[in-house]
Amino acid sequence: MQSSVIEMVYTHRHEVIEQWKEEMINIQEGEFTNGAAQAAVTRTNDEFAALIIDTLEMDKEEARLRLRSFSERLMYSGWPLSYFTKGLQLFRRVLLRFMTTNDTIPSSKVFETFQEVENWMDGIVNQLVDEYTGSWEHTLELQKLALKELSAPLIPVFENISVMPLIGTIDTERAKLVMENLLEGIIEHRSQVVLIDITGVPVVDTMVAHHIIQAAEAVRLVGAECILVGIRPEIAQTIVNLGIDLGKFPTKSTLRKGIESGLERTNRQIVNL
Amino acid sequence: MSVQSNVEVHSEWGIVSARQAGRNLAKELGFAGVDQARITTAISELARNIYLYAEKGEIVLEGIEGKEAGGVKRGLKIVAKDQGPGIKSIREVMEDGYTTSGGLGAGLPGVKRLMDEFDIDSITGEGTEITTIKWLR
Amino acid sequence: MRIPILKLKRYLLISVQVDLDDQTALQFQEDLLNKIHQEGSAGVVIDLTSVDMIDSFIAKVLGDVVEMSNLMGAKVVLTGIQPGVAITLIDMGIMLEEVPTALDLEQGLDKLQQELEA
Repeated sequence: MQSSVIEMVYTHRHEVIEQWKEEMINIQEGEFTNGAAQAAVTRTNDEFAALIIDTLEMDKEEARLRLRSFSERLMYSGWPLSYFTKGLQLFRRVLLRFMTTNDTIPSSKVFETFQEVENWMDGIVNQLVDEYTGSWEHTLELQKLALKELSAPLIPVFENISVMPLIGTIDTERAKLVMENLLEGIIEHRSQVVLIDITGVPVVDTMVAHHIIQAAEAVRLVGAECILVGIRPEIAQTIVNLGIDLGKFPTKSTLRKGIESGLERTNRQIVNL
Repeated sequence: MSVQSNVEVHSEWGIVSARQAGRNLAKELGFAGVDQARITTAISELARNIYLYAEKGEIVLEGIEGKEAGGVKRGLKIVAKDQGPGIKSIREVMEDGYTTSGGLGAGLPGVKRLMDEFDIDSITGEGTEITTIKWLR
Repeated sequence: MRIPILKLKRYLLISVQVDLDDQTALQFQEDLLNKIHQEGSAGVVIDLTSVDMIDSFIAKVLGDVVEMSNLMGAKVVLTGIQPGVAITLIDMGIMLEEVPTALDLEQGLDKLQQELEA
């Protein structure tokens, strides 16, 4: 790293850190650190300050690894990214104040040093943001995968009758998966009637209804019938208010009524002995 | 650069061989059954359009790679090109039910729905080039 | 290439085993209508279990065949449409709404029986 910055930081190391820490207290208000123990905040700040200064003399690769392990650990305990970006902004301000108020740097070198500080801080900010977003994307991927695994199985309940319970929000990608499972299950179990249970679907908007209607049409094409069950009062209201036409295939309020209707369609019924 | 295959379409048999080539490539690239059906159907529609409206042209099939968050995704690209009369109104042909041949009018809008990316480029009197991609899930 | 049409009492049974090209589909349409006329059949089952692709043209030919047969007094049931084919048709916006369907040949025959008795 550049000599004039290093010189300045090392001669004033103690004061810089002290000033920075004092001002960091203001950042804590109203953010994550509100709930964190004071000791943990102090420890993190110490560590953060030391790391910032250490990066001055590290090569790129080493700095990258140190920042990564630092950010991974803090992300894990829930520190928000903004705490560190604000901290770095503050660090920059403190440094610039030192440069300009005390005669630490010959005026000829002020501009050059200023740029060096900028580069140094920007590097750390970029790296931290990269680490954080990388980890978010990773988490998102994992959650998507988890959601996929959670996707609807087709359960045969009687001969020729199967149930597919839908749980959670149905987006386009999931709707495709549901449809494939549904049709392949119908062939596998030779189901004549499938009950699609939407008790666990929180909201039925035009998009969700569209996916359900498409699934029902596809079910008809492979040669089975679809009954939509689990229609709660509020779902019935939204469906009608949105003007969605589900008239083409039968609906029932509960799974039980659906099963009765399915048995009827396959010429059977439940009797008391 | 991965495999690329060109199929000339100037008869109804061209339609059949284009979709067979498409099915083979889709299988090779690891597409699941349903997506294989989507890809072959899209090729069939595009090849039929060439045969019906331009009389001859070609279908180019190619395995490709693209970038996505967290890695590389693979896909199958179909390019259908001809030196036919071109399409007068692209907006009209992309509407469901629009047909000049007495068909179902599901062709081009259907292809767009079957695939993930769709781009159409046509100059009246010079020809049409349609590029469409399906990504491996 | 021609698709064989089998006669079983009052019904005609067709199992499509080839990749349907345009000419074969049109030839089939003609053959089936002639056969219905010749035999005075009451019902037709077209089994599509081995068909792995139906594009808009083939779908139109099939839809037409059903309508034309109905005009001639024969009910048609399509059976064995594969999941991939069904999904592709739906994606394309082709619903084949007027066409009765069943899972397989056996259920198709049951369905014909029911419809004719009703």
